[in-house]
This record gives sequence, C-alpha cells and structure tokens, in this order.
Amino acid sequence: MNQELLRQFEYESERWIFRAGLQQYPEARRTAQLCSRFVPDDEDEQIDDEVRSCYNCQYRRWVVTSFECVMFKSALLLVY
Amino acid sequence: MKNWLICIDDTDDIGTKGTGEIAEEIAHLLAQNSGGKASFVTRHQLFVHPDIPYTSHNSAMCFALQSPLSQAEIHRLAVAHLVAESAPKADPGIAILDVDSDYDVNALIDFGLRAKREVITKAAAYQFAEQLQIQLTEHGGTGLGVIGALAGLGLRLTGNDGRVKGQIKLGQLEEVSLELTVADILEQTGLDAVMSTDKTPLAADERVLLKGKVKAVYLEHQFVLLVSRDGGQWRNAGKQVLQSY
Repeated sequence: MNQELLRQFEYESERWIFRAGLQQYPEARRTAQLCSRFVPDDEDEQIDDEVRSCYNCQYRRWVVTSFECVMFKSALLLVY
Repeated sequence: MKNWLICIDDTDDIGTKGTGEIAEEIAHLLAQNSGGKASFVTRHQLFVHPDIPYTSHNSAMCFALQSPLSQAEIHRLAVAHLVAESAPKADPGIAILDVDSDYDVNALIDFGLRAKREVITKAAAYQFAEQLQIQLTEHGGTGLGVIGALAGLGLRLTGNDGRVKGQIKLGQLEEVSLELTVADILEQTGLDAVMSTDKTPLAADERVLLKGKVKAVYLEHQFVLLVSRDGGQWRNAGKQVLQSY
C-alpha cells in the first residue's frame, strides 16, 4: 500500500476517512492520482470537473464532513 | 392525457446500471407505449448518514409523464422494467403520483425536505404515502428504496432541487469550446432557460461559451443551464457549482 496515499486518510471507528474533508478538490485529485484502484462513479454522481478525483470515485461514501474510502478498507484487510 | 410524477430509488449496486439510467429507460418506455411524453429525469440528493445504507451516493431519480395510460398500467410497465434492471443486491422502490389528484402538495414537499436532513423509516414512508394516497411499492431486498422514491416526488415538487440526469452534448469537447446563443441552446437541448448562478435569466441573444461537461439543474420549476461570468464571457457552470443542486 502506498504510504503517501495512506497518509491522506484517518482511521476512525473502523472507517478510512479522507483527512482533507469536503470541497478540497486539489487534494482529492492528487490522492486519486496516487491510487491504483480509482474507478469513476456514474457520471451523474460525479462532483469534480476533473474525472480522476476521489470525489468522483465509486468507492467513496459520503459522511457529514468528508468521505469514507471503502476500497481502501477492503484493500488493507487483504494486506494485513 | 393525465399528468404523473414517477420516482425510483435504490436500484443499483457498485458496477451495475445506475438508477438514473433505469429511470430514463422507464420514462422512454412509458412514453413510447402510450404516445405520451416524458420529461428529463432529475436526481435528488437525500440525507447522508451512517444509519442509511446506500451504494456510492444516496439519491432518487424522478420524472414527469403525460400519458393516457391508467395508473395500474403505468405501475405494471414501470415495475416490470425496474425489477428486470435493478441489481440483485438492490432494495428498489417506486412512487407514482397522480399530479392532477387532490393531494397535499405542501405535506409531500415537507416530507422530501425532511428526507434531506433526517433519517426516515420505511414504515413512516408507507404511512405517509397512504395518507396522501400515493402509490408506493417495493420490489426486492429490504425495500428501503421506497423512502427515497417518495421523498424524490416531494423534492421535485419544490421546483428547486436536483440536477438533470446526463450531459448536454452540443459539440463542445473537453478542450474545445463552442459558442452559442441562448436561443440556440434552448432550441437544441429542450431546456427551458439559461440562468446565471444568481438565478437571473439570460436574454435569447446572449452568447454562452460551452466547454467540457455541461449539465443542467431543476430551478424555479424549469430545466435550466446555469452559467457564470468569467472574463466578460458567460460559461457553463462547473460541477462544483452544481453540487448544491
């Protein structure tokens, strides 16, 4: 697992939460560039003009102040 | 012809056909079957909360239909397609409203707005639908999609909620702009208006530069292309601006 990618998330209550939070488009784009598992969500659910952005990924689950990466969770479970 | 509002929710799973696409297919199917007319499909964002299960988002898809079909026929055709196209792990629900009936529009709008900010149970949705005499049915899984389906009707009725499903493609590309007048845009897209982000309508002869992904919203009961002023030029608003719809 890419350590730089890992640093962008915080482990809270068994969820990997994006540290930068909402509306932090440069960080979401940069993080998606680090991730080999990015898959764009349905176009109607995308919110960033730049397609490769964690905010557009089908593995993000919105929470009130950020999003949880569910692919990250399963990938780490496989590794550890 | 009667006027209907139809909304579906919770039909998808990761990697399967989206709820918006299924709604669009049902809209076309119903329009074709009856010589009726279906509107654009609008996407309505619902509450995001740990207690609410959803795929990658939590949104309902709604469209208006003008059709001579009976409610029973509309329900039969729509449900057959819904069941055939929903993901095996989905929890689909559908709500059908006879817009010409004597229902409490304010109560329905209030229900929709509540579903944007609080957790609503399936039992509460059924009870409310029965009270307002709205047809609400579930078709697999937990059936929790009935909550969003009912809420989506209310949100559409506000006239100020939702993005229009799909993109507007008039020949613009990601890196190549296309300049059109407002009149041209309206004629070629079927949209009702072009408005600035502060909701001021643009005149028919104003020119707009379209580039990249162009999407419309549902605003003031109209299908609207939102534009913003940039360097003295009107440009289609980006997804970040549309996010609040």
